[in-house]
Amino acid sequence: MLRLTLAQMRRSLGRLTAAAIAIAIGTGFVAATLLTGNVITRSSYDSVTASLAKADLVLTGDASGRLDAIRAVPGVAAADPVVRGGVELSNGGSRSWQLAVPVASSPSLSTLTIADGTAPSAVDEIALPADAAERIKARIGGTVTATYWTWDEADGTDTQHEVTLTVTGITSDPGGAWTGYGGAAMGTLDAVVLWSGDTESGLGSNGVLVRTAPDAPSTVRAALADAAPGARVLTRDEAAQERIEELGGGENFLVAAVLGFAAIALVVAGLVIANTFQVIVAQRTRTLALLRCVGAVRSQLRRSVLLEAGILGLAASAVGVVLGTGVAQGALSVLRNVQTEMPLPRVVPMSAAVVIAPLVVGVVVTVLAALVPARAATQVSPVAALRPMDAPAVATRAGKVRLGVALLLGLGGTAGLVLAVAGSLLTRSGTMLWLALGILSGAVSFIGILVGAVFWVPRTVALVGRLLGSAGPAARLAAANTVRNPRRTAATSTALLIGVTLVALMSTGAASARLSMSAELDEQYQVDIAVTPASGTALEAGTLAAVADVPGVERAVDVPTAPVTVGDSWFTAHSLTPEVVAVLHDDSVAEAVTDSNVVVPQSVAAGESGSASTAMVSRLDPETSEPVAGGTPTQLDVTVLASSTFADAFLAPRTFAALGGGDVPTTTVWARIASDADAAAVVDEVREALGDASVIVESPVSSRLQFEQVIDTLLAIVVALLGVAVVIALVGVANTLSLSVIERRRESATLRAIGLTRRRLRLSLATEGVLISGVGGVLGAVIGVLYGWAGAAVVFGGLGSAGLAVPWRDLGIILVVALGAGLLASVLPARSAVRTPPVAALAVE
Amino acid sequence: MSTTTSPQPDAHGAQPRLTASSARGLRKTYGSGASAVQALDGVDVDFAAGAFTAIMGPSGSGKSTLMHLLAGLDQATAGTVLLGETDITRLGDDDLTHLRRDRVGFVFQSFNLLPMFTAEQNVLLPLELAGAKPDREWYDLLVTTLGLRERLTHRPSELSGGQQQRVAIARALVTRPDVVFADEPTGNLDSRSGAEVLSFLRRSVRELGRTVIMVTHDPTAAAYADRVVLLADGRIAGDIVDPTPESVLAGLDALRQLEAPVPGGVSA
Repeated sequence: MLRLTLAQMRRSLGRLTAAAIAIAIGTGFVAATLLTGNVITRSSYDSVTASLAKADLVLTGDASGRLDAIRAVPGVAAADPVVRGGVELSNGGSRSWQLAVPVASSPSLSTLTIADGTAPSAVDEIALPADAAERIKARIGGTVTATYWTWDEADGTDTQHEVTLTVTGITSDPGGAWTGYGGAAMGTLDAVVLWSGDTESGLGSNGVLVRTAPDAPSTVRAALADAAPGARVLTRDEAAQERIEELGGGENFLVAAVLGFAAIALVVAGLVIANTFQVIVAQRTRTLALLRCVGAVRSQLRRSVLLEAGILGLAASAVGVVLGTGVAQGALSVLRNVQTEMPLPRVVPMSAAVVIAPLVVGVVVTVLAALVPARAATQVSPVAALRPMDAPAVATRAGKVRLGVALLLGLGGTAGLVLAVAGSLLTRSGTMLWLALGILSGAVSFIGILVGAVFWVPRTVALVGRLLGSAGPAARLAAANTVRNPRRTAATSTALLIGVTLVALMSTGAASARLSMSAELDEQYQVDIAVTPASGTALEAGTLAAVADVPGVERAVDVPTAPVTVGDSWFTAHSLTPEVVAVLHDDSVAEAVTDSNVVVPQSVAAGESGSASTAMVSRLDPETSEPVAGGTPTQLDVTVLASSTFADAFLAPRTFAALGGGDVPTTTVWARIASDADAAAVVDEVREALGDASVIVESPVSSRLQFEQVIDTLLAIVVALLGVAVVIALVGVANTLSLSVIERRRESATLRAIGLTRRRLRLSLATEGVLISGVGGVLGAVIGVLYGWAGAAVVFGGLGSAGLAVPWRDLGIILVVALGAGLLASVLPARSAVRTPPVAALAVE
Repeated sequence: MSTTTSPQPDAHGAQPRLTASSARGLRKTYGSGASAVQALDGVDVDFAAGAFTAIMGPSGSGKSTLMHLLAGLDQATAGTVLLGETDITRLGDDDLTHLRRDRVGFVFQSFNLLPMFTAEQNVLLPLELAGAKPDREWYDLLVTTLGLRERLTHRPSELSGGQQQRVAIARALVTRPDVVFADEPTGNLDSRSGAEVLSFLRRSVRELGRTVIMVTHDPTAAAYADRVVLLADGRIAGDIVDPTPESVLAGLDALRQLEAPVPGGVSA
């Protein structure tokens, strides 16, 4: 049977190749993902082990005060305490926090090397990593200012120290031990201890690195344990392992998430394979019947088809592993060249799992996909060998059971989804619970849609085809051809629909998230730009003018502001002058403020009872936090403004003045950005205009931008991952079309003989491709948008503002890709179709 | 192409016998070098308009090749083929396709109907490809003559072989082509259906004024024709006017005797 199977595979090589491409892409995806996981694991392991320098043994836990004892243990060549200090460096206007580690007592325990200059040898010297030196424009031989804090246990105060350090050299971190910190500076042990706010006696409290002599006795470990009873002695590997476990399986989660996408790609590949095998079996009906005639039993035929699938799966998966490894290696090589921050291995770290997992998955998916076609093969009756054969007919009747299951899953899932949306919108709580219900029922309903695809996709294609049919005979031919084999058309369209639905879902979700969050942020931040002093109590004189002069700033206002107490609570209070009202985005505050009240935000006033109690309000001196000299504490109504998201209190100008204490210094400037200006650019310009003046410029614009950037990045990654599934689906469209062309060889020739031009034959196939992919694409986009809305409603409904957006641009791109690819998929099949000479129509098979 | 001054298409029978199709010095070689096969070796032949001509010959005599070349389905190695007065050996693929669509009809051995279309859609397909309106009167005449009235909404899979071939004949005639080429039209039919199909072909010549050129290896089928052209080894080997099954058989026997001494004659 094996020989026969192989012979049949050779005959169907072309057809199998397309299926092999689909499975190879899928398994390649899996292999590349696993390899990425390996690279991440390896590089974090490398970085952890690099931080251990060349230590042979590591003491973890508290070994403080035992350093000398440790060094005295026979066989210990060198031992250094683990010390990390931080120091804020500045030089001119630029500041930068820098991790610092001490000069090691032996090169074997040093994580850093000196790339240029010398290592520091005095407490007022430092060697900097190249990046930091560049950032603060420090040169070897030059000086920098270092700021550090010490905590005095006795009187509980934090003291700031400023010292001038001489830069002696540039450090480099060959092992990547400190890449997570942007490299490390080097100081003498004393200096780093000083900067870290630690004391000499605490040395070793974070552990000790030990280098043993080459001829160290094996008892050294036990001896060390005796020398430092408070610490555990670990080998280098044990220590690294422990550290990585502490870091947590972050990369495992990442790999699992990406593998989820690989699974989607494989499901799509499975559809493509099932399709291919169905056609292959149908085309072999005659051969299969002949085999039955000469005595093959059903199970032999089934085994033959499954064996074929197994061989195909294995071969394609092997190609996939090579492909995935190649892609991962290529990406790694590029990354190594592009970025130098992370120490990356030169070659992708292979492991057994990387090879075996994709092979197993690929074979399993292929064999599973071939199960139904294999059953079809067993149902070929021996008589079929004796009948003249026309185009092979694939079973087209779908059972009632299937319809029932599809309806049950589809309707049940939809009901669950509606419940989740309604629940989230109405209860406004338990978002996670509703989300879980939503995801579960969304997945169930999507499975229902997919199971039922064979019922509704061909009908949709037929409907669209009928509309297209009026465009001419080529279109009518195409429309008639697409509905000839509903199951195959359904499977092909569905493969594309899966990918497109998920892409549309993601981008709709992202767009809705952007909209919802943007509304949320508008509500939260009623002021476009707020400028406050970074330190000290007042803004520089020219600040207001500087802000107002920036193009794009509609108006800027000096907001009279003073700290106050309202009853027992402390607030920053603003006087609500007409100018201030003009920069605010809504009127809720202005409406609440009267001449006899103080408006406080709900978030802060949560503990206060009632919304209109009264309280004594008095202005404070910002320096001393005591009631201001000459102030007149006033009894005022307290109005709690529920809708306000300010953390500040508001008073009417007259009430504010009545609190006494004289004029207030300019401490707060608010500005409104013109609605037609590029908000982000305006904020940047304001920052630039205020230059080095020590102010804080706050703007929701930048948090919105940051937020949108996160969403866009995530979306781009997800779409790229899903893109693999779409690519496989398009391979499927091309595959289906070329199978159809092969099947319809004689028909094409007949059409050519009775007067169809080559151009029209091409056009007809292109229309067929566009019909299949277009219907899959449009339906996927529609379904995806609906799911995206449902998701957004569930997630943001709980937060109070669900904005439903349609990402028109993304949908447009999706559709153009789907249609264009459908067109492209028809190119090769059409080439082979038009090559069929009309004479072939006359040939008798 | 506007060089169509072919014989009056609607001439009913008794016109002077114009030439519908002719070949001069026609050669066709398959392959090259040592493996080259000379399928046609200098054929000169004329087919009268308004006549039913059969091309006969043993397997490998080149009869199918001759028909392919006459119908513009294949490119000749040398020589010319005229359809009416059009030299079709000079036409490009698109022009040839249009010529086949507008001026030639085909009847195939295995019917070659499109399975996804109904009988009616199959019959009207050539007109649809040409973007032309069917001539209702002519269409009705064809449907009635071929007895397809009750079968128009059926798909090919619901029709018997004879019925399918009748649909194919209607499809071949619907454009009122200059010539209908039939390639073993009874090859896949039982003898009763075969006889039916042949008499339809003859009626389309006698009553509807068409020109039919049929390739067959069946002497009984050939006897339905007005004339039989015998082919052997890629050359014209005989011509029988008003054939009977017996005269055709005799002609074939003569060919066989002629061929017998040739060692390793061309075989299919």
